[in-house]
Amino acid sequence: MDKGRGELQLVVFRLKEQVYGVDINHVLEIIRATGVTAIPGAPAFVEGVINLRGRVIPVIDLARRLGLGTTGRSENTRIIIVEVGGATAGMVVDGVSEVLRLSPDDIQPPPAMVAGVSAAFLQGIALVGERLVILLDVTRIFHREEKEALRELSREA
Amino acid sequence: MFTGEEIAIYLEELEEKIQAINDNVLLLEREGGSPEVIQEIFRAAHTIKGSSAVMGYEKITSLTHEIENLFDLLRQGKMEVSENLVNVLFEALDALKLLKDEITGAGGGVDVSAVIEKLRSCRAGCGAGKPGAAPAGGELPPAPAADELPAGRSAYRLELELEEAVEEVVREAEVRGFQAYQVDIGIDRGCQMKGVRAFLIFETLQQAGEIIKSVPPAEDLQEGRYGEGFTLVLLTREDAGQVRDLVFSIAEVSSVEVRPIKLRSGEQPAAREAAGQQARKEANASPGRENIKTVRVDVQKLDTLMNLVGELVIDRTRLDRFVEVFESRYGSDDLVENIVEISNHLGQVTGDLQEEIMKARMLPVAHVFNRLPRMVRDLAHKLGKEVDFIIEGRETELDRNVIEVIGDPLIHLLRNAVDHGIEPPEERVRLGKPRAGRLLLKAAYVESQIVITLSDDGRGMDPEKIRQKAVEKGLLTPEQAARAGEREVLDLIFAPGFSTASSVSDISGRGVGMDIVRNQIEQINGSVEFTTTPGRGTTFTIKLPLTLAIIRALMVTLGDQVYAFPLTNVLETLTFKPGEIQRVRHAEVVVVRGQVLPLVRLAHLFQEKSREEGRLSVVVLGSGDKKVGVVVDRLIGEQEIVIKSLGGYLGQVPGLSGATILGDGKVALIVDARGIVKDAGVEDIIYEVNRTG
Repeated sequence: MDKGRGELQLVVFRLKEQVYGVDINHVLEIIRATGVTAIPGAPAFVEGVINLRGRVIPVIDLARRLGLGTTGRSENTRIIIVEVGGATAGMVVDGVSEVLRLSPDDIQPPPAMVAGVSAAFLQGIALVGERLVILLDVTRIFHREEKEALRELSREA
Repeated sequence: MFTGEEIAIYLEELEEKIQAINDNVLLLEREGGSPEVIQEIFRAAHTIKGSSAVMGYEKITSLTHEIENLFDLLRQGKMEVSENLVNVLFEALDALKLLKDEITGAGGGVDVSAVIEKLRSCRAGCGAGKPGAAPAGGELPPAPAADELPAGRSAYRLELELEEAVEEVVREAEVRGFQAYQVDIGIDRGCQMKGVRAFLIFETLQQAGEIIKSVPPAEDLQEGRYGEGFTLVLLTREDAGQVRDLVFSIAEVSSVEVRPIKLRSGEQPAAREAAGQQARKEANASPGRENIKTVRVDVQKLDTLMNLVGELVIDRTRLDRFVEVFESRYGSDDLVENIVEISNHLGQVTGDLQEEIMKARMLPVAHVFNRLPRMVRDLAHKLGKEVDFIIEGRETELDRNVIEVIGDPLIHLLRNAVDHGIEPPEERVRLGKPRAGRLLLKAAYVESQIVITLSDDGRGMDPEKIRQKAVEKGLLTPEQAARAGEREVLDLIFAPGFSTASSVSDISGRGVGMDIVRNQIEQINGSVEFTTTPGRGTTFTIKLPLTLAIIRALMVTLGDQVYAFPLTNVLETLTFKPGEIQRVRHAEVVVVRGQVLPLVRLAHLFQEKSREEGRLSVVVLGSGDKKVGVVVDRLIGEQEIVIKSLGGYLGQVPGLSGATILGDGKVALIVDARGIVKDAGVEDIIYEVNRTG
């Protein structure tokens, strides 16, 4: 990991029966998933925008973003607010379970595809006890490449 | 060396003085050299010279030194204002601006030797007593002669520079009710007892007040070691006339000039402090307090403040709602009444706060207007036109973001006015108009908007010519042109690729002008219109919002969501029965007061489920000359909203221009009204209807 030898802290959450983790350094807060305003004309994985203490913040449907279908709504549904490259955004997940401390040695490079998620979005995988935690690369998730943007445009047209 | 702050202060002063010289040179050109104008330029050049020397900017120092020399001659009436002089002065001003850029790092390698040479040759050429061309105003500048000057003698006069110590004394004396005068005294050339005369003058004046300085020094004066005269600084409670009479009571005094000394607080002190001298801090605290009345604040801080206030406004609205609930639930309970009171007060304070911060972001339009006279002048020169350019309402204040945007469109309009509007002088004379065209630029507040008007008394526009041109350019078919009404035809000047100039000059008339002007203004939620009378002139009216951060909007619902339409684009709201809608090709239209209005369904545009039932609510949007009716579910009403960006991640979303936060904390989206109108393909439909109907 880029943090070197240091311990890594992950915010661990569930999404579609799978366990994922993101680097806590990216996470600002976790809020309930209410009051999302849909954005007509935005890409399908964009859930909408929310009011975060006076700021308008975009929120994505993480499952859709990863190509796993729509995230269902329940009591436990949460929005993880992250900061990526100076911008603040949220992602909808099925429920946040804990904060996990890992040593970099516990983390292995990602295979090409894990649980249907392309390696492009992955930072690695970690085996914690019996559980497999998939580490997501938040930066990649919120990075919209030209190619994608173009594809979206052609879909609209 | 100097700190960044010192340099910033110096630059600010430099900018101010360059502007002062610029304004006054324009006056000089228009009205000839009045003593005040000449004195102003002299002073400004002198101030720049002084502070630049301290800062070590040699090129500026030597350039302003030459300007100062020139104006010293002008001041003494040894030279006259000529067209050549004015042109050289403008060149010198341009060089000064370049030198300033050099300091800020925006430019470099400026060579001023050529300009300095020109200034010198001006001085040499004119100073020899042969004036150049007649002054532009047609008047000879009156020599700034001293009062009651005996004929044939020149007055003794000195431009005095006060040391800090003296200035300090003057400042203090002012507080105590004394006025400081500079007294220039000329003594007869034939005077035999110069020492005695000086002594007597000292004696006399000391009865009236206190002499705090003399040039040459008092010792020299009393021993008669001086030339044609000397200069004193006198503190007195008498007025200038009495002082002069006192001096004239002494024999062999040939001239007396008494001038009040004005300490220019905020100007010279700034320069001195820029030089790192702290000496006068205490003095500044008394009468020159203006110095510390302003602080510089990063614009970003103001933006952040504005955002914070925006949040406060939202919370206040939310609180209001709770208060309503409490009131209805608990009636006139004491506690409830307290909350109501607190909420009301909070509302008022937030409102005031919002207004004050908005004001803090405002700048006078002078920031843009001040650079225009020079441009108009150069343009008129180049085109051989004569223009009286009048500016009113410079002090009108606008949000700085708006100010940044309006410069370009204004320049465009001015160019058009000088190039196409105002006729050449000969033609004007033939038409019985004054030689010089009149161009009036005016800014004023009208109903929480800024209205900028630009009127000329030139040719005006001929609708028939525009009609013809539009057909030639293929903007209209002959058939369409024949149908189009006068207003419609006139508004074609805003169409892309339209130009009425019969010859394409290098000033305007490239046909890229007016559509861009309109675009730029509409981008900041403003509007531009014009009226014109052939032979009488044209008036453009630009309306701008006071601020970009808060707008009034019409709130509507569609499905579960609330949308906001910026009120600047909303022309009216209407309701229809579904049966009133007609179809033209694939488009829906309705007929309003005999005119065809194309409809766009917001639900269709946003692919939302509509909940409309029964009558249709329509928001009529206008942008430019196009109109579109947007069908929504329900109209809620008008509201002030704080504009928030959707953020870089989402980027430009078609149909939307931003978001805002509602009283209940939910986010509402702001509809991009201009975009919707633009994309609606209105003309096609209308022409289609016209053809069939």
